[in-house]
Formats: sequence, structure tokens, C-alpha cells
Amino acid sequence: MEQAGLVKPETLDGLIKILHKIFENDIINVEEVQNIMEAYASKPQEWMKFAKFDQYRYTRNLVDEGNGKFNLMILCWGEGHGSSIHDHTDSHCFLKLLQGQLKETLFEWPDRKAHGDMVQKSQRILKETNSIGLHRVENVSHTECAVSLHLYSPPFSHCQTFDQRTGHRNTVRMTFWSKFGERTKLFNSFVIRENRHSA
Amino acid sequence: MEVLHTNNEGNQVLNLSRLHLFELNLDQIEDGQRNRVQRLYLTYNSIAFFPSSVCLLPNLEYLDISNNAISVLSDDITRLTNLKTFVAKNNNLDETSFPKFFGSMQNLQTLNFSGNRFREIPVQFLKLSRLQSLSLGGNRLKGIPAEIEHLTRLEMLYLGGNMISSIPPELANLGQLRCLVLCDNCIQSVPPQLSRLHSLLSLSLHNNLLKFLPREILSLVHLQELSLRGNPLVVRFVKDMTYNPPSLLELAGRTIKSRNVLYLPSDLPASLSHYLDTASKCPNPKCAGVYFDSCVRHIKFVDFCGKFRLPLMDYLCSPECTSPCGCNPQSHGESEGEGDVPATRLQRVLLGSPLSCNRFGEAGLGLLT
Repeated sequence: MEQAGLVKPETLDGLIKILHKIFENDIINVEEVQNIMEAYASKPQEWMKFAKFDQYRYTRNLVDEGNGKFNLMILCWGEGHGSSIHDHTDSHCFLKLLQGQLKETLFEWPDRKAHGDMVQKSQRILKETNSIGLHRVENVSHTECAVSLHLYSPPFSHCQTFDQRTGHRNTVRMTFWSKFGERTKLFNSFVIRENRHSA
Repeated sequence: MEVLHTNNEGNQVLNLSRLHLFELNLDQIEDGQRNRVQRLYLTYNSIAFFPSSVCLLPNLEYLDISNNAISVLSDDITRLTNLKTFVAKNNNLDETSFPKFFGSMQNLQTLNFSGNRFREIPVQFLKLSRLQSLSLGGNRLKGIPAEIEHLTRLEMLYLGGNMISSIPPELANLGQLRCLVLCDNCIQSVPPQLSRLHSLLSLSLHNNLLKFLPREILSLVHLQELSLRGNPLVVRFVKDMTYNPPSLLELAGRTIKSRNVLYLPSDLPASLSHYLDTASKCPNPKCAGVYFDSCVRHIKFVDFCGKFRLPLMDYLCSPECTSPCGCNPQSHGESEGEGDVPATRLQRVLLGSPLSCNRFGEAGLGLLT
């Protein structure tokens, strides 16, 4: 099994090339992916074109489809934006902060029969993470936006979201705010004003 | 220094961020160029005193002085008559930092003063009638003034991360408000009048002290995002134990109203006539009753989109009365409160077609719990 080696990705494009190479194999070394993601030094001018913010909630912006083996995307979190508690449908999730800070809260899987509040496992401020399991990710800052780079393998289009107070779960379909830097057309009929810049 | 350039939108931008500056020196920039500068960035410097030389840029439309140490803004800032966007996050500003006539800057559309030391919203802000976006997140606000209703063009109001304990009903007069952020405060109740915010698309209330919501919240039919996590929301039906029996005055008033006893204002002292005008109709459609001061708070659990159960509060005229969902509060006991009307039908009636999708591609409300 040929490893991509200790090559440090100098650019976002370089990172994507290395990832493609790594994922050519059937068996993926999780640590290797983790290290490569960590080694990429965030350069805003490289990812700015993918970083499209929405006033009302965080956005998912597809960067690369990984030949069907993985999805690489950039998530943009405005002030106070957070996700619901969700899983990753048996996929691996690698996350790296490109700008700002995110808080991650891990949860125990709720017993299907039990009711009542879901149990928190831990909370931390993220730089990078590689998680399986349930978590909520939030930008708790009221002054700064956050931008994060995510890799999911294999790609998935549905996941489950959970009600923290009861543990009830729901399957939801994931959508992209933009793909490859182009805004996707969805059901919106109102104009979103983007008054942010990633400086 | 090549810091003056034209950006992708064709604006003349002067970028002086992260240069360890203590002040702004425009000597290197000649008059002709100064007149063309539309956007000025002075972020992440060491500026303690607002540089008056900013006012030498007469056509400035966008100013960002975030992440400095500025505690007061000089009077001549009002000379920037073309200024539309003013961002000053993470400084030392508070409600006393602004010139007396700051409210005269009528072209201002966007203000972002998050991460400062405001204890209240300055009165000058409330005169900015064209303001569309106001952010005071991460300050020390204790409340919201009723005069907020003067900002009739406001579309975005971000007040998360303060110490706000209540919401004035006058906030409901902001007919163009699309995004209201009140997360991370100490809010104990939501005034039912907020249901009049017919343009509201996003309401952020997470991490507050809410036990329930007013039933009227269901009328916000355009609402796409509602965050409620981190509130001590009532999970089980709670019977209100503080029901005060009606006074004789109230009982008389109820009889007059429900039996349509005719009277002329001249028949009664003005105070009683006024009292009779304050009658509220019981929300139960099967009940023709009214109430004045004595009512029962009834908490009904409503399924939102068939997924999440929200405790919504109704006022009923008496404990014997029933809610519009057709359920008798006394018969609940330990149950979660299933109504005669299936909750899913209620949701469909109030939230529009089940096929209306939010950005996430899922039917109904994007509820964060």
C-alpha cells in the first residue's frame, strides 16, 4: 500500500490531490488523513471562493467530490450559528478549523426506549477532530464567524438529528449551499444578504 | 504603500489592517485619491483614540475599526455623511461613546458593535431610521428599549450574548424584521405580540430561561429557523397552581359581556366602562367566555412538524374551560396532552403546505433542539 508520504500540502489544491491519492486505496489509514488535514495551513485566499455565508444558519459548501470516495466541504458559521445533534451515518468525519473557533459537544447514543435529556459526554473547543458518534457543533462567538473544512468518507446524503430533551431522532436529507464555488438553486425565494467577509 | 486598491465589486478599498498602527496617517494619499476611498479597514491595530483623519475621506461608505482599543468616537465622525456601514467590534465602546448628533447620520444601514461594553442601546441609534442591521452581540445589555420600534426598516437584530431579561412587546412593531437573535441571555418569557413579526424568518432563543412559549408563536408562518435548546422548557404538563379566583368585579364584567347586556358609556362611571373594554376572549372556540384579570395558564404540548414537542401557553378563562385543541386540562394527569385535534393537522394548518421546504431540504421547520 503506497502511502502519500510525509508531503505537506502547500495549497488547498495540493491537499485535494493528496487526498485523492490516499483514497485510491480501499483501506484508508485514518491517522494519515488526519495528519494531512492537520498539515494544511489555512490560506483564506485559497478557500474564500467556497466560503459563502448565510445570515440565518450555517452553510455547507462542497469543494471536491473525491471520485465518490469522500466529500470535502467547507462549512461557514455566522455568529451564534450551531448545528443540531447529529450522527454521520457510519461515515468517518474529519474536521479542521480554517478560521475562528467551534465548540463540539459529544453525546451518548440515546437508548431507544428511554426518555429524558440526552447525556453529554464531553465538550471542547475544536482545532481539528476526527469523530464518529453523536455531536453538536456550534460557533458560540457573538463577534466572529468561523470556517471549517470537513472530509466525510464515504460521502453521505442523509443523517439523523436528535432532540436533546427527549432523544427522539429524525432522518434528514443534507443539502449543499454551494458546489465548487457556485451557489446551488434551492427553494429559497428571498434574497440573502451576505454582509460578511473572511478577513 | 500599495494598500489602496479596487476590489471585485469595483469599490476603492484602503486596507490598513494588522499594521501595528496607533493612528491614521493619510499624508501618503493625495486629495484626489482620498475622495475616491469608499471602504476603509483599520482592524487589528493598536488604536486607542478614534482617528479624526478618517473624516478626510468624504465618500467613505464602509468603515471597519474592529479589534482596536477605542473607547470614544469623536464628534466629527458625523461628517461622514455617506457612511452606510460602520463596524467596530471588539473595542471599548459603550453607550456614552457616541457624539450627541450621531443619530443624524441618516445613511447608516448597518451597525456592528459586538464585543464592546454597552449596558444599554444608545438613544442616538434609535434615531437612525434607515438602519437595516444592528448587532450588539456580546455586550452587557440589560434590556431592550421600547423605542426600538422606531427602527422601522430593521431586518436584522443581533442581541445574543447579553444580560437581557425581557423583550418589550414594542419589538413586534418591526414589520420588516427577518432575523432576531436573542440567544445567550436571561429571557424568561416571550411576549405573545411577537407573533406580529410577519417577516420573521429566523428566531434564535437558545440558552435562555424560557419554560414555555406563547401559543401565538405558531402564527409565525414564515419562520424557518427556531432555536430553543438550553432553555428549561417544561417537559411534562404542568397545571398552573396559582389560579386566583375571579373578583366580584370580574364576575360581573364577564356576565355583562357574555350575555351582551346593553349599556351606554353614560350609564357607567368611566373607569368601569374602560374596564369592560379590556375583556379578552377566551381562545377556546367552543367557549364564548371572556376574562379580565383572572385566567388560567394552560400549557399545551404541540408537535412541531411531527418531530418536536413544544410547550405552548394559552390563557383560558377558567380551569373548567378547554384549549382550542379540545383538551380538558383537568383530565391530563400524567399524560403528555394529546388533543382531540391531531397535532399534525394543527401543524399543517399553521405552517402551510407540508411540502414547503427549508434550506435543508426537509419539510417544515428547521428546529434546533
